[in-house]
Amino acid sequence: MIDYSDFIDGYFNKTLSKDEVGRFEQMLAEDGNFAQEVAFYISAKQVLKEQLIIEKKERFKELLSQQGVVSMMPDRVPVRKLWIYRSIAAAALVILLISSWYLFYSRPLPVRQTADSYIQQHLTSLPVNMSATLDSIQQGLKLYNDGNLNQSLKIFESMVNRDTGNYSAKKYMGIVYLRLANYDKAFLYFQQLENYPLYSNPAIFYQALTLMKRNGPGDKQNAKQLLQQVVKDNLEGKAVAQQWLKNW
Amino acid sequence: MNLFKAIPPSDEYEIIDRLTRGGADRKKGEELLFTRFAYFIKDAIYKYSLSYEEAFDLYSDTIIAGIEKIVNGSFQGQSSLKTWLYSIFHNKYVDLIRKKTTNKNSVHRVVEIPDVLLQVSDEARTIIQHLIVKTDHEVLRQKLLQIGNNCKELLLFWADGYSDKEIVDVMKYKTPEVVKTTRLRCLDKLKQLYHSP
Repeated sequence: MIDYSDFIDGYFNKTLSKDEVGRFEQMLAEDGNFAQEVAFYISAKQVLKEQLIIEKKERFKELLSQQGVVSMMPDRVPVRKLWIYRSIAAAALVILLISSWYLFYSRPLPVRQTADSYIQQHLTSLPVNMSATLDSIQQGLKLYNDGNLNQSLKIFESMVNRDTGNYSAKKYMGIVYLRLANYDKAFLYFQQLENYPLYSNPAIFYQALTLMKRNGPGDKQNAKQLLQQVVKDNLEGKAVAQQWLKNW
Repeated sequence: MNLFKAIPPSDEYEIIDRLTRGGADRKKGEELLFTRFAYFIKDAIYKYSLSYEEAFDLYSDTIIAGIEKIVNGSFQGQSSLKTWLYSIFHNKYVDLIRKKTTNKNSVHRVVEIPDVLLQVSDEARTIIQHLIVKTDHEVLRQKLLQIGNNCKELLLFWADGYSDKEIVDVMKYKTPEVVKTTRLRCLDKLKQLYHSP
């Protein structure tokens, strides 16, 4: 049997030339033996990674026991004195109400922080469908939710390259670029998304959000106009836009 | 030392530096990172009502994922190490709960795709995924124990993302080329063992 190990290793270590990569992918589709060799390479690495995790966890456990931490861990959650927690909760609520009033009614809206907080609450974890197999969008979303932003971007990018009309991939590309602080590109993709006649299109709202996050000269004013458009045209994000505009 | 006591953030620089410097420094960096936020375990027991074992697993998985991201440059320092790790920790907790609730019905289980497969085209990925499913991972795991300590250690470093150059440093080989040849030979040995009865 031909030894492909060096060739396969080169492909996954990205040391092959463009021509060799093309040959690799062609062989993968046409040569069953070669595909099996590649599958073995990946399976072996997967098993090694699982073994690695087992060994790392053992090392971590040992580290904790060496430091005497295990003995400090409670076996059960102790009974808590509820009145203390209730008093603290009541005090916290009062402080929260006062600070909310101060934040929302006595000061202009801090646009960047507002955008940060919206992104944190709504865009750090995107809904993934639960199914036995993952299509490219779901794979991209899973990577995104795991924090692998660059890898998820690659997936969405390849989808857009294959099908320039794929508005979902464009929307997610915009969101990933927003998270990566590449505001110009994020804005560009949200602008492209605007051109699709969708029933529910968040493009204008996301454009405003991007400008709020960037917060450069003139961005605040432009974001305001976009939010006003969202409210006026009853677009997606209207309720949030109304809330923000109230304190603008 | 009380690992549950908060340590000043200045330590974070050392941890990240050691992890990204790679080679022999990385192991120390991993240990520092693990002990730095070990109080998350206690938090998870109180806040999420998890058992110690579950909380330990959750935290260990968080640290392992965090190490991988710091090493490959995904952590860009836009938030503090603690905030960033806590978001991973929380997401993993959500995954755990989701897994617990969907385990009853295996149809909803999501098939994990090895990272390396992401660089392959969609069609080729389907072919390989099909072949991977056919591979008996349990047998492969057992054969891994038979390839010898040196081979196993070398392959584990490789799976952990160490480059051949870094393995020269940690395993005292002469050159990265020697590491590569040995690594491929070890993989071949594993393959032979896998196919042998």
